[in-house]
Amino acid sequence: MNAEPQGRRREVTRLLGACAGLLALSAAVGSAVNTVRPGSSRLPWVGDWDRHIETLAFRAGIPVTFLMGVRDRLRDPHLVLFDARTPDEYAAGHLPGALSLPIRDVDARIIDYIDRARMDSPILIYCEGLECEDGLALALKLREFGFEDLTLYPGGYEEWIAYGGVVTQGPAP
Amino acid sequence: MNRDRPLFGWLARLALAAVFLAACIAKIRDPETFALSVHRYRLLPGGMVNAVAILLPWLELTTGIAILLPLRRWRAAGALLLFLMLAVFTGAISLNLARGIEASCGCFTTRADAAVSDAWNLLRNGALLWLSAMVFLEAFRDQSGQTDEPS
Repeated sequence: MNAEPQGRRREVTRLLGACAGLLALSAAVGSAVNTVRPGSSRLPWVGDWDRHIETLAFRAGIPVTFLMGVRDRLRDPHLVLFDARTPDEYAAGHLPGALSLPIRDVDARIIDYIDRARMDSPILIYCEGLECEDGLALALKLREFGFEDLTLYPGGYEEWIAYGGVVTQGPAP
Repeated sequence: MNRDRPLFGWLARLALAAVFLAACIAKIRDPETFALSVHRYRLLPGGMVNAVAILLPWLELTTGIAILLPLRRWRAAGALLLFLMLAVFTGAISLNLARGIEASCGCFTTRADAAVSDAWNLLRNGALLWLSAMVFLEAFRDQSGQTDEPS
């Protein structure tokens, strides 16, 4: 009388066993491959994501955008694009239309751009790349000044050129 | 499904396997960039991101292969895990869309110039969820009264 439910239970148990087998096989192969990878491409099991620039921006309430979002935003004629790197780095190459606003000079230089950047203008900020914090620092400073629509491009100049983005050279006007 | 339309059953398994085998390649090749994609969903604690980036592509690979096997139990297990993974991916993409995060889904490529997630990703995942449910039901139902025999 109980043969059918028992049979069904046995099937489910076998199914769950097979699922566990696939999970264990994946874990074993994934671990083994990661162990034998060359040092540069081996991923540590625990990464320091809490100090990653995107995490810091998220916690600070600064929205981030990525390469495709930047390409879209650059079509916006109202966009104000700030380069937070040093004047030398800016002169060597920057995103088209970017204005130089190094974090160290922001207090003195923001006045130069006051006619172009209104408090509600969409502002996009970048620095060198994922390892640099100047872009986020600039975004926080501009927020203190009262600018409302700030977005950080964490990939920065490095990612832009790595994906064939057009750059402009020359010092800030 | 398979009893009445064996060709459809085969095509469903083949399509699903092709999708997941294609999806795992870039992730296995570049786990560091895939970890960044996982991190951008902002759903996992920082300490779990790398472990997921290391293991998930291999689960996609093994389940993708499992649904091609003639052994019904393993096929059912593969399809069930694929269904569960797709449900999680779909929920995560939906959450990203709702939060306005302009990230790519990290599904098939880890490149920075991958298209940003949109409703198309949800539609595609809906179709894949349906396919994986069909494959699972076919394999699990056929298990009744049969041991692991080649189909």
